[in-house]
Amino acid sequence: MRSLRRFFKRLVSWSTKRRDEARLQEEIEEHLALQTGDYIQAGLSPSEAQRQAVLKFGAIEAIREDYRERSGLPFLETLIQDVRYALRRLRNSPAFAVTTTLTLALGIGATTSIFTLVHAVLLKSLVVTKPGDLYRLGKESLCCYHGGYAQDKGFTLVSYDLYKKFRDNTDGFSELAAFQASSPDFGVRRAGSNQSAQSFPGEFVSGNYFLMFGISPSAGRLFTSEDDRPGAPPVAVMSYRLWQQRYGTNPSVVGSVFDIDMKPFLVVGITPPAFFGDRLRDNPPDFFLPLNTEPYLEANPDLNEYDTHWLDLIGRIRPGANPTSIEAQMRLELKQWLRSHWKEMSAAERAKFPAQTLFLTPGGAGITSMREEYEHWLNILIMVSGFVLLIVCANVANLMLVRAMERRRQTALSMALGAQARRVVRQALTQSLLLSLFGGLAGLVIAFVGTSLILYFAFPSTTGAPAIPIDASPSMPVLLFAFGISVITGLVFGIAPAWLATRVDPIEALRGAGRSTVRTGSWTRKTLVICQTALSLVLLSAAGLLTAALAHLETQDFGFEQARRTVAMMSPQLAGYQPPQLSPLYRRIRDAVSGIPGVSAVALCKYSPLEGNNWGSDVWLEGHPPPGPNEDNSASRDRVTAGYFEVIGNSLLKGRGITERDTDAAPHVAVINEAFARKFFHGADPIGKHFGRDGMGSHQYEIVGVARDARYFASDLGKSVTPMFFLPEEQLDLNPKTAQPTIDSSHFLNDIVIVTRQGASLSSARLSEALASVDPNLPLILVHTMQEQVAFQFNQQTLIARLTSFFGVLSLVLASVGLYGVTAYNAGRRVNEIGVRIALGANRSQVVALILKGSFGLILLGLFIGLPLTFAVGHFLGHQLYGLSPYNVPVAGFAVVVLGSSAFLAALIPAFRASSISPLEALRAE
Amino acid sequence: MKEKTDVLQGTLALMVLKTLDVLGSLHGYGIARRIEQISGDLLTVNQGTLYPVLLKLEQEGSIQSEWGVSENNRKARFYRLTRVGRKQLQAEARGWEQTAAIMGRFFAVKAEDLQ
Repeated sequence: MRSLRRFFKRLVSWSTKRRDEARLQEEIEEHLALQTGDYIQAGLSPSEAQRQAVLKFGAIEAIREDYRERSGLPFLETLIQDVRYALRRLRNSPAFAVTTTLTLALGIGATTSIFTLVHAVLLKSLVVTKPGDLYRLGKESLCCYHGGYAQDKGFTLVSYDLYKKFRDNTDGFSELAAFQASSPDFGVRRAGSNQSAQSFPGEFVSGNYFLMFGISPSAGRLFTSEDDRPGAPPVAVMSYRLWQQRYGTNPSVVGSVFDIDMKPFLVVGITPPAFFGDRLRDNPPDFFLPLNTEPYLEANPDLNEYDTHWLDLIGRIRPGANPTSIEAQMRLELKQWLRSHWKEMSAAERAKFPAQTLFLTPGGAGITSMREEYEHWLNILIMVSGFVLLIVCANVANLMLVRAMERRRQTALSMALGAQARRVVRQALTQSLLLSLFGGLAGLVIAFVGTSLILYFAFPSTTGAPAIPIDASPSMPVLLFAFGISVITGLVFGIAPAWLATRVDPIEALRGAGRSTVRTGSWTRKTLVICQTALSLVLLSAAGLLTAALAHLETQDFGFEQARRTVAMMSPQLAGYQPPQLSPLYRRIRDAVSGIPGVSAVALCKYSPLEGNNWGSDVWLEGHPPPGPNEDNSASRDRVTAGYFEVIGNSLLKGRGITERDTDAAPHVAVINEAFARKFFHGADPIGKHFGRDGMGSHQYEIVGVARDARYFASDLGKSVTPMFFLPEEQLDLNPKTAQPTIDSSHFLNDIVIVTRQGASLSSARLSEALASVDPNLPLILVHTMQEQVAFQFNQQTLIARLTSFFGVLSLVLASVGLYGVTAYNAGRRVNEIGVRIALGANRSQVVALILKGSFGLILLGLFIGLPLTFAVGHFLGHQLYGLSPYNVPVAGFAVVVLGSSAFLAALIPAFRASSISPLEALRAE
Repeated sequence: MKEKTDVLQGTLALMVLKTLDVLGSLHGYGIARRIEQISGDLLTVNQGTLYPVLLKLEQEGSIQSEWGVSENNRKARFYRLTRVGRKQLQAEARGWEQTAAIMGRFFAVKAEDLQ
């Protein structure tokens, strides 16, 4: 308390310093006058009295110093002095200041930019009220549908019926909301507008969804539970993003009708600006619709299917409620619910019943699918940028050391004159911190640009707006991070020069500079160069490994042709087509597109190769018992039109492909891939065999062909291709109970694959025209070449490989500059020696060798230390290399050669310069 | 060297407080004279060191000061004990007395007392 009071008094008196000193002066004068008076009275002569008084008072200057130190805030004063001094010194050497600031800015900017992403993807909570009170169902994110009465990893997705059971019986939640795990695209058109429908992402949510998050609308109102009951007038909530970007926050949007998949919805409100839904993803939902409008909108509604699990749950717990006891209660409710469906459960599901459970986990960050997907990538990037920052630190430390060496004489002089070691260190550290703060400031700009670029490349946007709701501009945590990292950086690179500054012997000031035999600090600088070499070898080989892995991925044989293939995506669903109209529509589309000059063949499919989507089914082979609960009998299915295999260039190894003859009236057939044949037939001839989908019988399809393995999803790259079967679009599956044809949404084909003739090109305008001639309402969502579609799958890999390469080259340049600096400095110090050697008859090459020997030793040592590290890093990269061995000798060798040769060049320049010294000049220079 | 001045300053502050407690308002020279009279030669060499101590005490709120007129009609700064200062003096005096008493007892101990 007393010291606090004293601090404030000091702060005040610091600002009124001059008055204080005047007061002391007056007091001293008064004191001396009184003392002199007393002495005169005692009989001394006036001059002797004066002398004695002054003697008795003591050393006036020392007392004044003491007084001054107590009256002001010496710490603050010295700080200001040091800052002024450091600024003056930096102004005197602008080249040094700019170089250092820029180098630091690169390092700090890179790290901050990666941190911005880490913060947004891994650390940040949803922008909602009290995110800490939110809990979600499940430990990991599943997409997007799950059927039946068993979930092996604990119930994560639930059906509407199960949601209602939880909602109505769990008291611990003040609100428990459900929402769709996937985000379907809807064809949307403002009612009365004459534009064609456009596709926007949307999501079905429960009526208390916004209430649960505790957010309030930007305009209008959000849903209530009244909006989410059967028969309620259909309403929608629009995202702020869409409202702002498309309608310029026009208030008339609220209260107007929008046709969503041709059905009218009243837009009642707009979400708050910072809200982007229940999870971070690219293309967040633009339209939120009540769960109960799902049957109104979808041809095959999921809402009332008890065993179709398609909803995620997040609940807000009541104040003081215990999540563990809520979890226990919900487990009980789950068991009750499963029991009530005992009759519908299969034998396998009944066997799994005892193991069924669920988990509640913190839900403040929403459904963290993005976190799970990107965590490893981000960790790699953090590591890479951290390495770059370390190299930057080493480099700047080196520059600072050289400067400190040059100032040795001055430092020695100040110490000889009585400067405290503490003060000298503080001065040096102040300068380092100042530099790193400048670097941090500039780094923020680099971070902003860097983050924007990364986001732009990682999540390419189709509309021009950022496709992912991550803000590149620095937020408070990012600013704090940048500040913290700047201070740490400043300390890291400043500590060595500062420490060395105190080890100056004052006696050196008296000797001539350069005559000293002590080489203080030279080992420090050498260590720094060795570290830089090792670190940049690690970065270079990481970059090499990732680039090699990418090349390996992109050039592998995917089993289909990319050249001359174009993929156009459309959606008959958005245009309101009904199942019976589909086959004729596809035929018309094929005819229209085939009519475009230059087009040689056309086929349609649900999923084209490497589009990245898939539809899994369980397979039941004829002549086998129905698959057991723990049997892996999954395969992916696709629906295609006639001629599909020829169009994508996927060759058939046996039998035939899908042809025009495979109509609904003809026997139902399937073409399988090699992986399917391997998995289910183990080398036996599959042609003529029958199989079905689990639950639909085992005699559904006859296998008529085996296609070569072609890759459809990028998620399993590096592993073998998934078993797949292909069904003709026209053949409708029969319901085994009713024997009636059933149409699931696999009949809504999205992809048109087009082969063009050699040399011909296909413009998307011509394609739009052709589609419009079929139906003007049919939206063309996307047109790209097959190469683009494939490259898109490697988007992240490409980005990471490029970023790492960029960082690798950066580190290479920095390390070379560092080595150049050290070599040049050492050569400079040895000018005398070199002069003597040349005078005594040494030739140029001997001098060059002399200088190079020292530098090359450092490089070799760095490489020696770095090499094992590179293998450790390869191990860390692990499965991001897609089967490429992490102990890749050619890549490591390449990195060693690149680093070694650029380091050699960096050392060669100063060596040559040193060897061209004329001996006379060298001996004279001092 | 440093330790010695620290001890000196601590005791000096206490002496200043006690002097002001006994004599009321006093200027710097007056305080120095009193301390000199009572403590002998403690302050004969470095009277000036008193002023930083006065400043510290004033910053801590133990004493107050104001300009006044000295006995030879010159402008002088007069110091006066505050309520806080009086309390502090009492507390520290008690501490000193205890320490002195304990030390006194230790020094009074003879070998036979411990047997």
